[in-house]
Amino acid sequence: MKKKYLYMIGIGLLSVSACQKDKLFPASQTSVVADDNFLPFTTPARITAQVEGLYSNMRSGNLFGGRYQVYNDVKAENWINSTANSVTAYQTWTETVSNTSSEVLSLWSQAYYVINNANLFIDGMTAKGNTVVSAALAKNYVAEAKFARAICYYTLVEMYCKPYGPDGGASAGVPMRLTGNNLYGNYDLAPATVAKVYDQILADLNAAETDLPLTYTDAATNTTRAHRNTAIALKTRVYLSMQKYAETITEANKIVSAAAPFTATTGVAFALQASPLTPFRTYTTTESIFSEPYLATETGGSQSALGPYFNGTGSAEFYLNVTNGIYANAAFKATDLRKTLLTISVTKSAVTKFYTNKFPITTYTDWQPVMRYSEVLLNLAEARVRSTNTLDPQAIALLNAVHGRSDVGTVYTAASFTGVADMISTLLTERNIEFLGEGLRWNDLWRLNLPIPAKAAVPVINPTDGPYIWPMSGNEQQYNKLIGR
Amino acid sequence: MKKNLLQFLFVLLLLGSNAYAQSKTVTGTVTGKDDGAPLPGVSVTIAGSKAGTVTKADGTYSINMPAGQNSLTFSYIGYLTTTKVISGVKLNVVLETNQKALNEVLVVGYGTQTKRESVGSISQVKGSDIAQQPVQNFEQALAGKAAGVQITIPNGVLNTPPVFHIRGTNSISLSSQPLIVVDGVVSYSGDFSGGESGGNALSNINPDDIETIDILKDASATAIYGSRGANGVVVITTKKGKKGTSVVSVDSWMGMTKVIRLPKVLDAYQYVALKNEALVNAGTYNPASAFTLVDKDANGNDINTDWTKVVYRTGSSYNTNVSVSGGNDKTSYYASGNYTKQQGVIKKNDFVSKSMLFNVDHKANKYVTYGAKLSYADQMNLAATSSGSLSGEAYATAGLGRIATLLPPNLPIYLNDGSYNSTTAGIGIVNNKGYSISYPNPQVALDLDRANNEINHTAANVYLVINPLPWITLKSQYGLDYIFTTNDSFANPVNNATAGATDNYAQNKRWDWVNTAQFDKTFGKHSLSLLLGNEQQRSTVYGFGLARTVLSDPAFNQIQAGFTTNGTSGLSNSEDYLVSFFGRLNYNFDQKYFISATVRKDGFSGFGASQKYGYFPGVGLGWELAKEKIWTTIGADKIFSSFKLKGSYGKTGNNNVGAFPGLSFYSNGVFNTIPTLGPSSNGNANLAWETSKKYDAGFDFGLFNDRITGSLGWYKNDVTGLLFNVPTAPSAGLASSPLVNIGSLYNKGYEFNLDAEVIKSGSFRWTANFNIAYNENRITSLPGGQQITYSTSSLEITNINRVGGAVGDLYIIKSAGIDPANGRRIFLNAAGTKVEYTFLGTQHWFNMDGTNYTPTNGTVGINQNSDASDYGNSVPKWIGGFSSSFHYKGFDLSTTLTFQAGFKLYYGTAASLTDQRFWNNTTDILDHWTTPGQVAAFPRVVFGDNVSNGTSFPTDFNTYSGNFLKVKTLNIGYTIPKSILNKAKISNLRFYVTGYNLFIFTHYPGSDPEVGSNGTSNSSQGVDRNTAANGRTFTAGLSIKF
Repeated sequence: MKKKYLYMIGIGLLSVSACQKDKLFPASQTSVVADDNFLPFTTPARITAQVEGLYSNMRSGNLFGGRYQVYNDVKAENWINSTANSVTAYQTWTETVSNTSSEVLSLWSQAYYVINNANLFIDGMTAKGNTVVSAALAKNYVAEAKFARAICYYTLVEMYCKPYGPDGGASAGVPMRLTGNNLYGNYDLAPATVAKVYDQILADLNAAETDLPLTYTDAATNTTRAHRNTAIALKTRVYLSMQKYAETITEANKIVSAAAPFTATTGVAFALQASPLTPFRTYTTTESIFSEPYLATETGGSQSALGPYFNGTGSAEFYLNVTNGIYANAAFKATDLRKTLLTISVTKSAVTKFYTNKFPITTYTDWQPVMRYSEVLLNLAEARVRSTNTLDPQAIALLNAVHGRSDVGTVYTAASFTGVADMISTLLTERNIEFLGEGLRWNDLWRLNLPIPAKAAVPVINPTDGPYIWPMSGNEQQYNKLIGR
Repeated sequence: MKKNLLQFLFVLLLLGSNAYAQSKTVTGTVTGKDDGAPLPGVSVTIAGSKAGTVTKADGTYSINMPAGQNSLTFSYIGYLTTTKVISGVKLNVVLETNQKALNEVLVVGYGTQTKRESVGSISQVKGSDIAQQPVQNFEQALAGKAAGVQITIPNGVLNTPPVFHIRGTNSISLSSQPLIVVDGVVSYSGDFSGGESGGNALSNINPDDIETIDILKDASATAIYGSRGANGVVVITTKKGKKGTSVVSVDSWMGMTKVIRLPKVLDAYQYVALKNEALVNAGTYNPASAFTLVDKDANGNDINTDWTKVVYRTGSSYNTNVSVSGGNDKTSYYASGNYTKQQGVIKKNDFVSKSMLFNVDHKANKYVTYGAKLSYADQMNLAATSSGSLSGEAYATAGLGRIATLLPPNLPIYLNDGSYNSTTAGIGIVNNKGYSISYPNPQVALDLDRANNEINHTAANVYLVINPLPWITLKSQYGLDYIFTTNDSFANPVNNATAGATDNYAQNKRWDWVNTAQFDKTFGKHSLSLLLGNEQQRSTVYGFGLARTVLSDPAFNQIQAGFTTNGTSGLSNSEDYLVSFFGRLNYNFDQKYFISATVRKDGFSGFGASQKYGYFPGVGLGWELAKEKIWTTIGADKIFSSFKLKGSYGKTGNNNVGAFPGLSFYSNGVFNTIPTLGPSSNGNANLAWETSKKYDAGFDFGLFNDRITGSLGWYKNDVTGLLFNVPTAPSAGLASSPLVNIGSLYNKGYEFNLDAEVIKSGSFRWTANFNIAYNENRITSLPGGQQITYSTSSLEITNINRVGGAVGDLYIIKSAGIDPANGRRIFLNAAGTKVEYTFLGTQHWFNMDGTNYTPTNGTVGINQNSDASDYGNSVPKWIGGFSSSFHYKGFDLSTTLTFQAGFKLYYGTAASLTDQRFWNNTTDILDHWTTPGQVAAFPRVVFGDNVSNGTSFPTDFNTYSGNFLKVKTLNIGYTIPKSILNKAKISNLRFYVTGYNLFIFTHYPGSDPEVGSNGTSNSSQGVDRNTAANGRTFTAGLSIKF
């Protein structure tokens, strides 16, 4: 009797040991370990996936997946807030963000997350990846990482720093980080000046221009990943922000033909589409220089996609300011296709409100535009007028190319303007109409150091007022002792 | 085999002697002295022999007495053993309860000990003390029952795990909840619901099945649990069968729960007057385009909606337990079944549970004992939609707790055509103009949505004990704890732009195998006990699910119906493994000097490659003064029946770090259908456990023959190597903040516990327990000397950890009332200077002299980073309880009072309730400023203003003392006299009524000062932000034994 039980327990004890050491060192079944072996860089597929990952993180709702464009639009005068929700840009709209407001914290950290991933990628390629993929591919990929780094730094400068113009970038910028961080450590770092940050942005974009491929094999990739012309296009925006008009012209000329119809003659053949509606319904045309893609299985956020902010879908956060916003501007004619095709009115309880119709899909699968070719054309036009201080004929042709496709029949000539200032004003108005809901309005006010016009109960904000630019991220202030701002 | 033969012969012999010798049959009834109730299962043996029987359910016995035998021994657990000499053939015996409280058996790690021999700090709570309460899990009933044990139930949502702290908050980043050991197997604990109701893993334990709960607090008791012992250990022992004829118990109650202390909000007329005034003050009132009004419904009546009635209800509850237990010399069993259906105060929030437990123990022979436990529970944690009360939900737009008081009362639930007043953008504002509302009409979600959770929890074990020699015990126990959890949610197409269903399923599986060898030997006055053991525990998680959107046909709402878009949900895959070797040596000399030494070596997979193993030693000493001669000489023995000094020191750890915190990972994602890879987490290869050094000193005493027992103790827990997800500058761009062993804190305090049998005279008895504990929690170092702030639901920074403060102090901006001159709220900046706020215009912040206020650090106005200060601890310093139980003849009355004191609560809900957007307000707002010179409680109302009321940052005018005294339970019962019951063959029948969460004495204005928006998180306690109100429950029930 007794023996039977002893045998039982004896066999039981023998069959499993008292310590299964391998179980103390388990391997993840779902993720790649990142350590000194650079496992994420050991196969070409992993390296390619990392490049895609950079774009995926740029697509975050806190960045180009909507909120960046939202903040740029609602900080200005074209929209009236209807939900008073501080999670959905209410404080940006009222110009009352604090250093702990969620938009101030989230955009900052997401932009730097992408920057660090780009840095880690560049470091990892040097350490390992360059031996895994071909030299040509390695160059392309690193250039894409530099493009990602550049556009994120530009975003930070634009939201958190004073414009370059008034002081030539002497004011405090943001911390400049160019190597990857993946360990716990002390990351105190003083901000570089705005000028230094611009230097880095341009250095990265110049390198990207050199090393990026001319085109990809399909239109979707041309719109969602950086190729050479993307880097050049972004440089026109950057130089325009620095009020460096000669450089803007130099860059733009690389991708804008001398005469209409304006197109890029090498690389991806950027061109305007016949209808202004097309780029918002067919996302991968040559007009869309860079966009964030969404589809049914990868939808935008209900509180970050542009639709619920500007298209009256979902929570319909904002509606068009019909008092003093661009919608009410006489230059935005009722017959303008951008009004007839790209705005809508919704009447609820006998109150009619107007919205853009660029992002109509209620399931948030509209692609979110970051840059369109019409911007490059208008960048060039403005730079030409400003640098020549004349009613530049090419500038007028460029304006007509953009304006004329929507306001068919109206043709500007030199006689249309009372002078250079009037033409610049017309160009700015044109931009305001053309990019409504696409996040360029604040950019235009900021680069020119212009006051933010009043809207509803929100007063005028002058460039000298505290709320003109966003405050520094409160978390950065807390955890970076050298931030100094 | 040989033994069985012997027994058989013995029985034959007995039969034989019955035939030939002068034997007789003795009968009688055994009753308990206290209540005179018959005692079933009392062992009746013939003195000096092994022959015997047990009493039946009615307490009667019948035994054959062989010739020459003349005395019987009666023994029963909890009663003093008595031997009686028989003169006739009838013998009724009255058994006295065992008064010696110090002889109670405590369940400790991997064994048991009498209270008298224990040198650890251990509180024992009897299962009967927490039974029959309208709770969903036993933890909720533990409040006030044991010294140094804090239970705070954070909200009124059913089955949420309470904050369960033993001797303060012992961690910052890791769990500070104790280790829960159920019948020798470490159980899953915490919330396993992914729905909108709570899903406490421990609700599988029916409180009525619990025999004892032993709470191990100091190092001598917890060091045997090594890297898991830092937060204390709670050892639960379920009921086992007792020898005797089977006893069937049925306990059943039903009851109702009503919401308490709801804020009183404005009705439609008051609301319209106030908001129009606010619109006028804002300069935006326009009789054509910006106004509010009291509208008419379809019947022509004024619309005046009480949204709290839409959200809250009077819930009803029902609970039944049935158990059977019994056994003989060899086998004992306990089986029970429980069905409970409880409704919460929030509509559709239900808890429905079916559970079963079966315990069986069999003594095969002198050497071998084995047994098994099987328990299974199927629990439905049901809710329609977010209550806004669970951790992370404080600002949920659909949070029922908030919208019940936020929604304007002049809006209808249904439009006049009978349809919902709802759009996908929020509730409609009917004929009001000038604003819109993004908050939904709760009626829609309550009717159409669901956010349910189902937990299948199996806890089982088998064990084998071999005693090769009487003093050697070899034991092997293999246990399982499996939680299979299913979440099922649906968002309707009426008020959601995208209707969808999300379902997911996760298997949490754990096995635990413990092998121990115990040696107990007594040499003269030396008593020695040695335990050696090995434990392995492995846990895995495997989960997956579907998130489907765009419903194809609104007639359906199940996950299996037609949807056009399919996504994933709840993917999880992880594992951990713990291997340990441990030992314990207990020695005492003459029950006078005690020593207990333990050591454990733990290896845990979660830690960094270089830090897999650790050692955790502990030692305790005890000295029973009452056994010393001097004690008698000075006459102290006249008062003190026992007086034991004790102290302990040891090291324990906290290993709640998850599966792979030592490693950094890149994870896959997808970008426009193409796979992506990128940094997803940052690990730390040197990661080790948090170490808790525990010091403990105190004394236990018994007065008047242990009629009063008590203990007074001091303790200090020095926790070092605190793990932090150390925040780095966001510009460093790390994917996650790595866990780093950095920082330290301590908890120190006192505990006092007193148990007394106050009155015991004839038919009247009064027993009472009082306990109180004081705890001081101090952070002594933090990463980089920094202070770390914590937010509620990622939106509002409410708490701060800083060196010199306690864990989770409130981080608040101070204020100085309302300026009578202009009705503006006055805030105080960091320097204490008064700054006024107005919502109007571009310049919002003014100095008191009317000039613009410009902070020197370049920030704008009053803001939290510049101006908030540590406003004191959010965790109570004082906790305790008072339990009392009266018996008079058939009547009994028992109460439990609990109290917590010495802490602050941030009542963020008050900011919502005075917000000057379209939000409804409490009637308090009526005392707002309107004319110069007026001294008012609230500022001038300006439509859109969400700063003056405290929505933008936490303020002192919304912060209150949390001190409270609660009448937690009151239970009145009546037991039908035996004389009546005996005819019905019922041994016991009791009727009772219970009140739960009965009265609260507090200055706190919220529904319940036992509250928390952030669940069991350590660093953001003391915040009540839009938490749904709590309820009060009354039940009536009966229990029958037969």
